[in-house]
Amino acid sequence: MATGADVRDILELSGVDNDGPISKKDLINSDKKKSKKATETLTFKRPEGMHREVYALLYSDKKDAPPLLPSDTTQGYRTVKAKLGCKKVRPWKWMPFTNPARKDGAIFHHWRRVAEEGKDYPFARFNKTVQVPVYSEQEYQTHLHDDGWTKAETDHLFDLCKRFDLRFVVVHDRYDYQQFRKRSIEDLKERYYSICGKLTKVRAPSGTEPKIYIFDAGHEKRRKEQLDKLFNRTPEQVAEEEYLIQELRKIENRKREREKKAQDLQKLIKAADTTTELRRAEKRVSKKKLPQKRETEKLALPEMAGIKFPDFKSSGVTLRSQRMKLPSSVGQKKIKAIEQILVEQGVDLNPMPTEDIVQMFNELRSDLVLLYELKQAHSNCEYEQQMLRHRYEALLKTGSGAGCGGTTAGGLARADTQSWLGAEDIKMEPKEQIIDVVGAPLTPNSFTKSIKTIKKNKKNE
Amino acid sequence: QIQVGALVFDIGSYSVRAGYAGEDCPKADFPTVIGVTLDREDGSTPMETDGDKGKQSSTTYYIDTNQLRVPRESMEVMSPLKNGMKITDAELFPWNTRAKREKLTELMFEHYNIPAFFLCKSAVLSAFANGRSTGLVLDSGATHTTAIPVHDGYVLQQGIVKSPLAGDFMSMQCRELFQELSVEIIPPYMIASKDAVREGSPASWKKKEKLPQVTRSWHNYMCNCVIQDFQASVLQVSDSPYDEQVAAQMPTVHYELPNGYNCDFGAERLKIPEGLFDPSNAKGLSGNTMLGVGHVVTTSVGMCDIDIRPGLYGSVVVTGGNTLIQGFTDRLNRELSQKTPPSMRLKLIANNTTVERRFSAWIGGSILASLGTFQQMWISKQEYEEGGKQCVDRKCP
Repeated sequence: MATGADVRDILELSGVDNDGPISKKDLINSDKKKSKKATETLTFKRPEGMHREVYALLYSDKKDAPPLLPSDTTQGYRTVKAKLGCKKVRPWKWMPFTNPARKDGAIFHHWRRVAEEGKDYPFARFNKTVQVPVYSEQEYQTHLHDDGWTKAETDHLFDLCKRFDLRFVVVHDRYDYQQFRKRSIEDLKERYYSICGKLTKVRAPSGTEPKIYIFDAGHEKRRKEQLDKLFNRTPEQVAEEEYLIQELRKIENRKREREKKAQDLQKLIKAADTTTELRRAEKRVSKKKLPQKRETEKLALPEMAGIKFPDFKSSGVTLRSQRMKLPSSVGQKKIKAIEQILVEQGVDLNPMPTEDIVQMFNELRSDLVLLYELKQAHSNCEYEQQMLRHRYEALLKTGSGAGCGGTTAGGLARADTQSWLGAEDIKMEPKEQIIDVVGAPLTPNSFTKSIKTIKKNKKNE
Repeated sequence: QIQVGALVFDIGSYSVRAGYAGEDCPKADFPTVIGVTLDREDGSTPMETDGDKGKQSSTTYYIDTNQLRVPRESMEVMSPLKNGMKITDAELFPWNTRAKREKLTELMFEHYNIPAFFLCKSAVLSAFANGRSTGLVLDSGATHTTAIPVHDGYVLQQGIVKSPLAGDFMSMQCRELFQELSVEIIPPYMIASKDAVREGSPASWKKKEKLPQVTRSWHNYMCNCVIQDFQASVLQVSDSPYDEQVAAQMPTVHYELPNGYNCDFGAERLKIPEGLFDPSNAKGLSGNTMLGVGHVVTTSVGMCDIDIRPGLYGSVVVTGGNTLIQGFTDRLNRELSQKTPPSMRLKLIANNTTVERRFSAWIGGSILASLGTFQQMWISKQEYEEGGKQCVDRKCP
């Protein structure tokens, strides 16, 4: 296909752009002017070639610059396409060249552009080598002498290090075992780094403190042994380790649960104690001093002490019976329990809301709830105690409970809430069956069961 | 910008690959056998091809498929590998001894007067062709299956593990299978015409008249070609250890021999290549000391320093013609993931095209020779003259 330039060339018309062969820059950076403008508005305009979604990731609608480091895309985001066929072909020449990285100065031939004649071989700059120190004979005799290493061996080591650019894995692989002893990689590294360190110290001009790298061969050996063991673990060992970790997690969880339950119980009991004390304190103290004391003591009460009736702080007219209304946080079971007891005692479920009645009715209900909770906790403890006792007897029968018989008996003997802590002691035993026993979740609190027991007790009274 | 025009040769025990550097596949790919005929009816084949040893025989050599497969009178077939190189090469197996490498260098410079030369291990080149400088190269070719650890472009010689269970072993097993089935292998050159027969019935064919008196070795070679074709088309590796019942349910493959005998092959398809992975039950093996392919790999990695093992397992390069058997790589993957600890990241690199896997060493050589930074690595004629043939040991690690 003939372009304008070709036509001009054929007709030998002097063209406008006929200033010698094209340089690389013309082809690639021909839109420099455009890119300059683009860079100014780059933050707000999507570069050509970038997909819309990618751009959306970078820039939000708020037109803030993204918190990224700016990159070096001088031509914008699009991939560079060489523009071909514009001008005359640049001539190539079969030229000899030398490679400065080679030591023998061998001359090879290849095709190259005439323009680049005389320039250095471009790939020679990639010839980087590692600096391996070279020691003289005297230096070796004075400083580097070592009992485990002969001079020949040390020379061999350094020769290999130079050839393989300090790749110790390869050095170790190519080490001459027939001639010298079998050495581990750590031995080689240790010898190399110790020599380097000594040489830097010796050669450093007096007064300066050169930085010396210290190689800890012992540490490396231990680390590799550890890795080896880890690598060679059988699947059984891995499974066993996993199982043990799981067991540990289970034990810790149970411990936490138990502690939590114990704490709750403690709170409950404390609440019960304090309310009874409060009542007694109230009766004794005169009415004038009541409001102050009540406030301070009431603040100290934990939230679990029965029902907390919300105070209506609304201004204006309110119905007193509203204060009698149970807050919604009280559960169904508790409501039922309250109702039942009220009915049994012959108390009206919705009494006339006078000031005193409202107050006392609320207190009554809160006490009922407290009582209910205490009864529940009590029945839980009793149930646990029974269960443990059964298991203990079963273990005694099988004969494996001999070791922990003492502690279990101790735990079971205390029928109060302190038995929670006793159960923890049992748990610490390494016997898995006992752990499982203790860790078995309790049956859900059967409210009906506990109420029946309460009723039974009442009837028995 | 291709720097210097270079020729790349890769000599295997089955085929030779040759071509120009910078291309993506070798121009020439022909079997590594030479047909030799002697004028004299001596029958004794010259064992040294460098120079005539006083025998007044004009030995003619035939290479390449076109020439080779023509039956000629008393043409012996032999492999040039042990007998010195007739073909120039720039790559060699890693277990060639130093003496052989030096001899080859000498031959190249003295005899062929080349300006520059470089020898590189095929494992390193296979790794390069797959874009890696570190990895475990598993090469399963005709004569050997080897696992070679490559670290940073250098072969770790202490970790090389070799096993003779490879393509030729498969061919031998196929041959035995046909013997058991009482089927004779007739190479195509003998067949004038054949009739279509029912599946499993004996073949019915007519022998060509006026066949020259061919040697035993040549006839065997032609039969081997038939068996290799069968091997390539029919065999499959099962993805779990061989099980009789599972194998019985495998779909069968229909195959027809050149003489017309055709049959469906089912369980045998899986049973024969199983010997590669689990040689304990394979026929024809003396004792149970052979390693299966999975064991070859793990043993090789196990002999390397523990710090580089994850790097090796993370790039297991699978090359060689024998690995093209259907199901080979899947089975290998399974075996390796069973034998390595679960935390180890395992990655198999296996090109899917036939060309790339068979020629990966050649392609790596082509890549290497066209790199600009490679130009300093050549052994030039001047260096050879100054340093002698020992320079190959230093310059070609």
